[in-house]
Amino acid sequence: MEKIILLVPLIPLLSALLTQLLFPRMGRQAARISVIGSLLTFLFAVATLWLVLAVPGSYGVHLFDTSALLLLDPLSSLMATVIAGISLIVHIYSLRYMAEETGYARFFILLDLMTTSLLVMVAAGDLLTLLVAWHLIGVLLYFLLGQNTRDKSAWRYAFWTKITYRIGDMPLVIAAVLLYQAYDTWSLPIIFEQLMAAPEAHKVLGLRLPDVVAALIAFSAFARSAQFFVHTWLPYTMSGPTPVSALMHAGIVNAGGFVINRFAPVFMQSSDVLHWVFIVGLFTAVVGSMLMLTQNDIKKSLGYSTMGQMGFMIMECGIGAFSLAIYHLIAHGLFKGTMFLGAGSVINSARKSDYVPKEDLYTFIVERRPARQRLPWLTMAAVTLAVPVFILVSTHWLISQDYFQKQSAVVLLFFGWITGAQLIFSSYQMGTRNIRRMVILAIVSFAVVVLGYTLISHAFDLFLYPDPVFREQLYAAADIDIIWFDALIVLVTLIIIFGWFITFLADRDGGRKKRYASNLWLMFYALTSREFYLPHLYTLMTRRLLKIAERLNVWMRWI
Amino acid sequence: MTEILILFLAGLFLPLFPLSMGFNWLLGRMQSPVLRALALLLWPQAGLLLISQLEFAVPDWFLLLALASSGFYAFRALALRDVGEWSGFLATSSWAFLWIPIHAGTAIMNVQLYALGFSVPLVLLAFLGAGLERRFGAACTGLYGGLAESIPRFSTILVLVVLAIIATPLFPAFFIMLVTITQAMSVMPAIAAGIAVVWLLWSWAGALLLQGLVTGTPDDSRPADLHTGAILGYALILVLLLVAGIAGMGVLS
Repeated sequence: MEKIILLVPLIPLLSALLTQLLFPRMGRQAARISVIGSLLTFLFAVATLWLVLAVPGSYGVHLFDTSALLLLDPLSSLMATVIAGISLIVHIYSLRYMAEETGYARFFILLDLMTTSLLVMVAAGDLLTLLVAWHLIGVLLYFLLGQNTRDKSAWRYAFWTKITYRIGDMPLVIAAVLLYQAYDTWSLPIIFEQLMAAPEAHKVLGLRLPDVVAALIAFSAFARSAQFFVHTWLPYTMSGPTPVSALMHAGIVNAGGFVINRFAPVFMQSSDVLHWVFIVGLFTAVVGSMLMLTQNDIKKSLGYSTMGQMGFMIMECGIGAFSLAIYHLIAHGLFKGTMFLGAGSVINSARKSDYVPKEDLYTFIVERRPARQRLPWLTMAAVTLAVPVFILVSTHWLISQDYFQKQSAVVLLFFGWITGAQLIFSSYQMGTRNIRRMVILAIVSFAVVVLGYTLISHAFDLFLYPDPVFREQLYAAADIDIIWFDALIVLVTLIIIFGWFITFLADRDGGRKKRYASNLWLMFYALTSREFYLPHLYTLMTRRLLKIAERLNVWMRWI
Repeated sequence: MTEILILFLAGLFLPLFPLSMGFNWLLGRMQSPVLRALALLLWPQAGLLLISQLEFAVPDWFLLLALASSGFYAFRALALRDVGEWSGFLATSSWAFLWIPIHAGTAIMNVQLYALGFSVPLVLLAFLGAGLERRFGAACTGLYGGLAESIPRFSTILVLVVLAIIATPLFPAFFIMLVTITQAMSVMPAIAAGIAVVWLLWSWAGALLLQGLVTGTPDDSRPADLHTGAILGYALILVLLLVAGIAGMGVLS
């Protein structure tokens, strides 16, 4: 029965072949084969999930008596279902969306091959199969983004994506080779078993093998999930077709979170790597969100929004909440996919109304609406700060009483508190006449989201990592010294409260700033709106390198 | 003395800089695609025949020279526009890596297969380059472009051949590179990292070549696309390469 996992990537592969073969006869109708293939793939993926839920465990299936191993386990079945589901939606959407484009058959063939590669990647049970799938995803994405062969700019940014992915491939290859040399096998289950039994058994250049391998895999994950410094490809890839953007933001960019989960035993045995993962993720989440807010191009803004979310996902891995990262990547994939696929409708409706809120003075004098209600600021400040804490603590206490013993839980609660407070704070700013109703709605929706998030993430934890000892060790691997931890929490809290205070002052003064503050703010805004000049810097470096290569060729007479 | 002479000659055929300039000079002088194909196919095999006569192990510093030669040509390939020169540079860059399995004591027959894995896609590119010269007068990037629209079947084959050259899975070169990195890792991890960087340069060079030919708006000329027989021929060799790659994956594991 577990051989069903073989069918999941095989169906889109067959569908790609059939589409290619039948396109000359059937014309554009051949794309329907691809859609039917996607539907079947999704059904089989759901069947694998059902199988793992019914009979928990991990099964390995060799691909046609070769050494390539596919794993049927909670992680692979869950990810396969998500990928197959998103791929199905993208296929159906593309049927009409791509109808006017050239290369219609090529698009569906590439889409099917991409689905196959993604499914093989999530099910790969050996390093070779993982490397093959990992590498192919970058190559196929390059051609999918460059679907419009006339669009030079689409190809330029597709190239950025490809080269960043290739930069990310290198550490994964080195990590795979190091593991192979240490354990004399490519099989992941065997490697993990031996690594768990004797984590100190191997060294590389005097360093512990789990540390080196975890660091290399983390770097690969950073490149694939657009973490800061290797992120510039993501916001610029919007020239590709919308369905590709949807698939990329919903299913491809998340691969970083997946690969960290796949190598969870390695990260568990590493010493400081998870802390670095946390720092990179946190920095990316903050910078990505900041860049998102300063872009005037909506597509770039969406790209940076994904970058911020990916930062958050990587940060979750960094605090040992591996299963939460998987839940996050699924939730983000679904909502971001919806945003991309719904972009056309939004543009249509925006043509009818710009939805820009009017000034209070305008609504009061011209539209004769009563002025907005103002509530006592002290009451509202107390509500803003206390209500999210109450909701978060009570929800998590309901699920698990020992939850607060973990550092990761405190970090997550901290982020939840900031988010909740920010949400309630934002609700005061909305132009509504009934502010009480708005605040109550914000609090209720926050409570529902937190309850759902907590329940589902707890279920994911039990499903993906059923062994409680393994779960505990995973969280423990991310822990830091308690004094440092408390000090950091206090420091970040003070920074956040200071930020809110500044916002409050700015709001009270009607946005007026002192001259020096205004200049400083303008400089900062210019820097962020120009993306810290990183794309320019990379372009400049690329041009310089090409110039040097050209000069060398002239000197060497082109031989 | 004879041994040193053999090693010197092997450095010419499994090109190490500056001896590699000889091969690229010679390839540049060959006008016939058949001659070019033969050179691309047989040049490294001659080097391997010489190596089989050697009775002492290849010194460690040869690996550094091989990596430097490979990296030098891969880097210079970034600025090339001529398809013929590009295939020569990529051949030099990839064949230099054959010194690593030789140093690791891999059976010479296996190394000959590795050389074939690198050479066969280059041979296909030599014929495709000749096809471009016939159609457009020159096989050069950035001159015409838009081949994806004007000659779609030709460009599909061209894309696949370039992917095979730059060691994309599941073509044999991908697995040969993995073997090479694994063998280099046991000698010096820095060399393994260097090979990975050269591999990255190949991808970059391949992307630049494809973008200079396949993308863009086609001009008004109506060149003939590949005929069915030629497509079948190219497709057959590419499928064989894929099968060899998958078989290689089996051997590797």
